[in-house]
Amino acid sequence: MLEVIEAILFSTLDYAPALIFAALGAVLSERAGVVNIGVEGMMRIGAFAAAVAALVLPTGIAAGAGMLAGAALASIHAYLSIRWRSDQVISGMALNLVALAGITFLLETRFSPSGTPAILQLQRWRLGSLAAVPVLRVLSGHSVMTYLALVIPILFHGLLFRTPAGLRLRAVGEKPIAAATLGISVAIVRYAAVIGGGLLAGLGGAVLSISTLDRFEQHMPAGLGFIALAAMVFGRWTPLGAFGAAAFFAGGNALRIGLASSAPQVLQIVPQGFLLALPYLLTLLVLTAQGTKSRAPAALGVPFETESR
Amino acid sequence: MRRRQGTSALAFLWRQSLPSLLSIALALLVCFLAIALSKSDFAVAADAYLQMLWGGLGDLPTFFATGNWALLTRAWGESATKAALLTFTGLAVSVPFCVGLFNIGAQGQLTVGAIVAAVIGAKLRAPPEVHPVLAVVGAAVAGALYALLPAVLKLRRGVHEVISTIMLNWVAVSLVENWLVVGPLRATASGDLSRSGTDEILQTAELPRILGSLSRLNAGFVLALVATLGVWFWLKRTSHGFEARAVGLGMEAALTAGIDVRERVYRAMALAGALAGTAGAVWVLGTEYKFPATVGAPYGFDGIAISLIGQNHPFGVCAAALFFGVLRAGGTRMQLLGVHKSFPELIQGLALLFVAGRLVWERFLGSAAKPRAAPIETTHA
Amino acid sequence: MVGENGAGKSTLMNVLSGLYQPDGGEIRVDGQPAQFRSPRDAIAKGIGMVHQHFMLVPSLTVTENVVLGMEPRRRGLLDLAAADQAVRKICERFGFSLPVEAQIEDLTVGSQQKVEIIKVLYRGARVLILDEPTAVLTPQESEDLFSVMRELASTGHSVVLISHKLREVLAAASRIYVMRRGKLVAQVQASSTNEQELAALMVGDARPREVRPTTRGRRGELLLEAKELHAPGARGLAALRGVSLSVFAGEVVGIAGVDGNGQRELAEVITGLRSFDSGLIRFEDKVLPRLSPGHMRRLGMSHVPEDRLARAIIGPMTVEENVALGRDREPPFARGWLIDSQGRRQRALKLLEEFDVRPPDPLARIGMLSGGNQQKVVLARELDVGPKLLVVVQPTRGLDISAVRSVHDRLLQAREQGAGILLISLDLEEVLALSDRLYAIFEGRITGHLERAQFEEKRVGRLMMGAASEPHPSAPRANA
Repeated sequence: MLEVIEAILFSTLDYAPALIFAALGAVLSERAGVVNIGVEGMMRIGAFAAAVAALVLPTGIAAGAGMLAGAALASIHAYLSIRWRSDQVISGMALNLVALAGITFLLETRFSPSGTPAILQLQRWRLGSLAAVPVLRVLSGHSVMTYLALVIPILFHGLLFRTPAGLRLRAVGEKPIAAATLGISVAIVRYAAVIGGGLLAGLGGAVLSISTLDRFEQHMPAGLGFIALAAMVFGRWTPLGAFGAAAFFAGGNALRIGLASSAPQVLQIVPQGFLLALPYLLTLLVLTAQGTKSRAPAALGVPFETESR
Repeated sequence: MRRRQGTSALAFLWRQSLPSLLSIALALLVCFLAIALSKSDFAVAADAYLQMLWGGLGDLPTFFATGNWALLTRAWGESATKAALLTFTGLAVSVPFCVGLFNIGAQGQLTVGAIVAAVIGAKLRAPPEVHPVLAVVGAAVAGALYALLPAVLKLRRGVHEVISTIMLNWVAVSLVENWLVVGPLRATASGDLSRSGTDEILQTAELPRILGSLSRLNAGFVLALVATLGVWFWLKRTSHGFEARAVGLGMEAALTAGIDVRERVYRAMALAGALAGTAGAVWVLGTEYKFPATVGAPYGFDGIAISLIGQNHPFGVCAAALFFGVLRAGGTRMQLLGVHKSFPELIQGLALLFVAGRLVWERFLGSAAKPRAAPIETTHA
Repeated sequence: MVGENGAGKSTLMNVLSGLYQPDGGEIRVDGQPAQFRSPRDAIAKGIGMVHQHFMLVPSLTVTENVVLGMEPRRRGLLDLAAADQAVRKICERFGFSLPVEAQIEDLTVGSQQKVEIIKVLYRGARVLILDEPTAVLTPQESEDLFSVMRELASTGHSVVLISHKLREVLAAASRIYVMRRGKLVAQVQASSTNEQELAALMVGDARPREVRPTTRGRRGELLLEAKELHAPGARGLAALRGVSLSVFAGEVVGIAGVDGNGQRELAEVITGLRSFDSGLIRFEDKVLPRLSPGHMRRLGMSHVPEDRLARAIIGPMTVEENVALGRDREPPFARGWLIDSQGRRQRALKLLEEFDVRPPDPLARIGMLSGGNQQKVVLARELDVGPKLLVVVQPTRGLDISAVRSVHDRLLQAREQGAGILLISLDLEEVLALSDRLYAIFEGRITGHLERAQFEEKRVGRLMMGAASEPHPSAPRANA
């Protein structure tokens, strides 16, 4: 029994980082008031860029390439949404579609339809001292991404609630006019947030292709970006909340896969389809329960007019 | 925007469509360059585009050489089939836009409709005149109900439809593809467990082919055209459609004038769901003849692009659907040149991206494009 | 600073606080000429304004809102402790008792206002401008505010109080400026004047009233009766506190009051756009427990709403579509399910001509028309129905003289034809010119009821400012 639990925890720690980073990226952007449906696309481009970069660069640095790719896509979104006040949902969706088809195109033209060539995955670190401790020993043997995914949410939380930049970000997302009258540039804050979100989402994608797997596979991220959005909503647009929700969803997924292999009888009663639908259903339930009192940033999705009254 | 007296209808139409036309042109250009750069050869790019064209419209050169109509009809059949689906999902997005809602849930509504059609097609016994009708109606009802869900959540609990429809999409896909289709509804009739998807529908449920064996063109295409006209008629000629537009363009004024806003919203969403559900039915009854393992192409999401590129007008949607239907049917031929068959989706995505930058076009063209219906609430819930 | 609606007090203060740019004239601070291109410039010179609509972020705390943009730091991080302390110090100094860690959305309106004051004090304001601060406060909170103002004054700050509540102004201020129609008409010492005198200065000398036909319309049956209406306004405060009135056929009943005293909510309640907590509304002989706009229309009521662009017209739609709004399912606009475009066109053209709308193009987008022409379309639409009761709110706001004239003519014409008109307007002159009877409203209550013969500007002005109250019958004696 313990083995099963530990196995599930272990795979959760392996699969969660991608989701965690993407969810954090979504939180960053939306906290500043810019809707970010494009996380899926940013993950995809990040995954691809990292896998390709890893062919010529050390894998660790390749992750950076993924981040930059995500940021590049995000900057288009930022430009359209902030400078041109485009509908943020449309621009995000469009970028998803472009990333989907565009990366497929690049994949086919340069590599093969199934994916990029294999690369050297990120090294796994062994924390020898934990080897004997039950349960905690699952923390040993993961790539640096897992450990980053445990630390970055805390850093993000600190940034958001304990720095002047974080305070201004929150103000801009809730009531930009208040911030503007006090001399804060809403546009700059939003640009920074969206591009930062792109960096994180790109990192999440990179994790998929250089850590979880050893190459870019044509379907990546296969809807993970939308689960990240669900995690953001479920976690009430806070870093720690999104982290918890993402870990929870990843854990649920690991559980589902674990059950499929070790206890398929359970799946007779609760079909896989339900388990797959669960994150979305839970999120929907939470939103319905909260009603109009949802904790979304008040100015989310509303382009800010710089010409005042 | 209405044309002032004195402006010809054609000039007006031109000005309205310009942002979309320019977006498509730009997207075509960018993608052309993409192929050219990746193959380091402009000729290949030109060739690829030609192949796409022949694939969609029919191999015109060979036709002119041999006079074989089948070359054309086959292609038209493919294009029209895809265009039909895109028309339905495009309309499913544009109708809620009229009342100020963004329906991202067309994919889920389509899935729900498709599975219902597959079941009715396979399990029910009915004469061939009636069977398809029953299946389509069932699918439409299922889609409508599924679309009412986010509408209710929005009007009663303030849940923003963008998030709820995205969630519901995945719920539908998960439940249908990962449970129903591999579980209770799995194909058992033939006893061959290697078949994926649901049971095949009975022959009586198939949508009739229009050009017989010359192509795969089926009645679904006609349905799509009828639906387009229907939606146009609804918007332009019925009081109901007028009130729906009023709600979308000026909710407060509509409320003050005594229009029942809630009711209009519900009806619009139900109509949208019915359209998307019908798309699913047409797909099952006209092309696949069962619900296969997965829906595959994201027709529902494409509907968003089609709707926006078509400026949310029924005829624009139909035109965009025809255009991209041709491109996508032609996409398969591009593989011969080493270009992935989903290339048209890239053109589509880019066109959507450029259309999204509406204000850029407006500044550029110096004219005011048609104002989009104001969303009922502009903030996320 | 006191003055009627539209006297220019807020505009003047917006210029002084840097929000608007003046066309001419000069501002001096400490003897030096100053130019304010934005509120930041003004605050830098020590002038801070507390607006009627607060600029606070609801989900952040008091401290966070105060220091936003000027945050104290320690090693790069937000020094919340220092921020809290700074805010507390200001609170102590001026006698505020505020929980600095509380979130704005959990505070009362009075407390939120204090946060706005602290915000400008934190940034070093020496002159504080308060725009109608007591509009949203309870009497107790208002008292609180006055002691704060006294404290501010005693510590060397200057306070400019914009208000129309004369009693309060006399109690709180030492000097009073009176504005009327964009000009400064008087400056008096508070100690040497009284409410009556101020009201008179604000309203000005009696002007020759518009010449109107002396034949009063025959007053018909009772159309609308409201008894003891209580209704909530914004932020949960009561907007109507027991309003009773009546409207008969064939007369114009005016509601006179300063903006923000409940007229808006009254209009909304009567037209079904706002629900009321208690009281009674009767239309003709039916008691209506609940109203909706559609229902009221079917009963025979028309409504010309206040906020034309948002509530009366749909800008992107054509003129003829706007004419059809609200009646689009009946002939001549429709035949069964279908739109009758011929019928619609004919009716629109007829109305456009009758009401002299320019340009008389049914296909023009109504948003393109001038305000006056838009209002004509709205009026045409609402009158075309032949309503029994017509509720008009601010019918001539933003219109030029000739448009005002024609709107007034139409209203009186409707009255001749037997309609009952409830006229709610912030323009006292308009109310006095058109009404057969009027009610004065102040802080959600009816403070007076006058027949036309008793109309006298200063008297009405006093009633509107709550300076004097007269008992009024809830329904006038039947038939004159």
